[in-house]
Amino acid sequence: MITFEAVTKRYPDGTVAVDCLDLEVPAGQTVVLVGPSGCGKTTSLRMINRLVEPSAGTIRLDGTDIRTRNPAQLRRGIGYVIQQTGLFPHRTVEDNIATVPVLTGWPRKKARERARELLTLVGLGQELARRYPHQLSGGQQQRVGVARALAADPPVLLMDEPFSAVDPIVRASLQDQLLSLQAELHKAIVLVTHDIEEAIKVGDLVALFRPHGTLAQLAPPEELLAAPADDYVAGFVGFDRGIRRLSFVRASGLALGTGPVLPADATVAKALAAGEPWILITDPRAGTPRGWADAAKLTALPGDAPLGRAAAEPLGHTFTVGTDSLRAALDAAVLSPAGQAVGVDDDGRVLGVATFDRLRAAIQAADKSAGQAGAVDGQAGSRP
Amino acid sequence: MWSWIPGNASLIWQLTWENLKLGVLPALYGLVISLPLGIIAARWRWFYPPVLTVVNILYAVPSLALFVALIPKFGLTDTTVIIALTVFSLCVILPNVVAGLRGVPPAVTQAATAMGYGQLRRLAFVELPLAVPVIIAGLRVGVVSSISLASVGQLIGVSSLGYLFIDGLQRSFPTEIYVGIAGVIVLALVCDLILVAVRRSLTPWLART
Repeated sequence: MITFEAVTKRYPDGTVAVDCLDLEVPAGQTVVLVGPSGCGKTTSLRMINRLVEPSAGTIRLDGTDIRTRNPAQLRRGIGYVIQQTGLFPHRTVEDNIATVPVLTGWPRKKARERARELLTLVGLGQELARRYPHQLSGGQQQRVGVARALAADPPVLLMDEPFSAVDPIVRASLQDQLLSLQAELHKAIVLVTHDIEEAIKVGDLVALFRPHGTLAQLAPPEELLAAPADDYVAGFVGFDRGIRRLSFVRASGLALGTGPVLPADATVAKALAAGEPWILITDPRAGTPRGWADAAKLTALPGDAPLGRAAAEPLGHTFTVGTDSLRAALDAAVLSPAGQAVGVDDDGRVLGVATFDRLRAAIQAADKSAGQAGAVDGQAGSRP
Repeated sequence: MWSWIPGNASLIWQLTWENLKLGVLPALYGLVISLPLGIIAARWRWFYPPVLTVVNILYAVPSLALFVALIPKFGLTDTTVIIALTVFSLCVILPNVVAGLRGVPPAVTQAATAMGYGQLRRLAFVELPLAVPVIIAGLRVGVVSSISLASVGQLIGVSSLGYLFIDGLQRSFPTEIYVGIAGVIVLALVCDLILVAVRRSLTPWLART
């Protein structure tokens, strides 16, 4: 656990980078420091491994004041990942990853074996072990950077804008990987970003900074979106926070209808009898969705013809009822030609469809419960 | 007239060997002095400008004048030439040591520090290896210019391939002049190629150029 106690960083020219910061990073949790440039988030991060020394206040690592620790020793127990990767250009990938184990006195052979385990852990192939960093793509380099930080299995991981320099698709996959790594490894992670989306995606807690190094709000991401402490926070999280917040609401609470769902071997007459404007045609055996058929066009077919003969429009995408969020369900409805979201189970079998009306009911129910939470936090946050 | 060459092969070899010594030793001494100076200059920025000024002034001194200035102390010996040429090599190598060390990407040094390298280890295992290409580039210029300047030493009687063109001029014997010039060029070229090979073996991570 990392604890900031009234930590201030003032530079000789009088600039205050961090102003009396109190913050706790629990073991096994990811705390994201987010805010505009110059808000002191990176300075705060660098004070943890003593790359920057605070002017006042105390930082403790598992209860011990870090000033009492030898800096080099302290740092070997804290993983560090930066945007520019900082990989050693003159060392192979495996030797880069083996850096800290070798520094702490492991035999090189054992350190390299460990490096190869980590390559697998971060989703890279063994064939990259002997390459040099410049022979890797940006995303691969960043993964090697994460592997290097994890090599000595430190309990704490510091990440300074780790995914800012890669393209959005690679960034999303790196973020997903961080989430799955964290689910497995349970580190205390402090991640700095200027991207509120990233903060909301990867953080267990989000610490939103104001300019000049004060905390605007420290809260779990769903609370930050549902109950921003003030206008600054609301402005920073963005105008579409209402929709983004739905990422944290499970779609399992959504009421699904089965009226328009019919297998491809049902007759056209039966489909028309359902009285629905759109019919979802499913595979008779697998139960998977095939596509939407416009009821108005079905009338052109003979009544005893199977539905499978009707022209079906593509689904857009489905949502998985057990695991996906209400946001995914809403998105599925928006993209569907029928304006209805198709909910499937883990095997892809159709469980039912949700109309906008049903989605709205679910969202209102979620709002109601968040509103109650927000009322409590609103009082805490309304302090001037 | 080309028959002069086989007849004087042993003289040519001896002069080549002496010229090699006068070229390589000063460059190596220059490197040995440049490394600590360069490391200090890269670490403490205020240290570099005054040192660079002194080095540039020394570099501006004509080589012959420097020889003459050293003669009262060291006489008409190899030592005089080697000291003078060491000063000149130092002048070209030092800026490269500083540039090489300063050219290490800040993200790399920061990452090294954050991973728990102490300053000395970081210097030895991260910064100096990364500065090798630039330092060797300076060493190449140092070696080549020392090899060529060594001939000037002949004017104070220290023998090198320079003997051949001075003797050839005095005797109006072009063959000897050509052999002297070609010898210096070939020697410089060979040394340069050896340094390129050394650089390649020390920097396997760089793509072949």
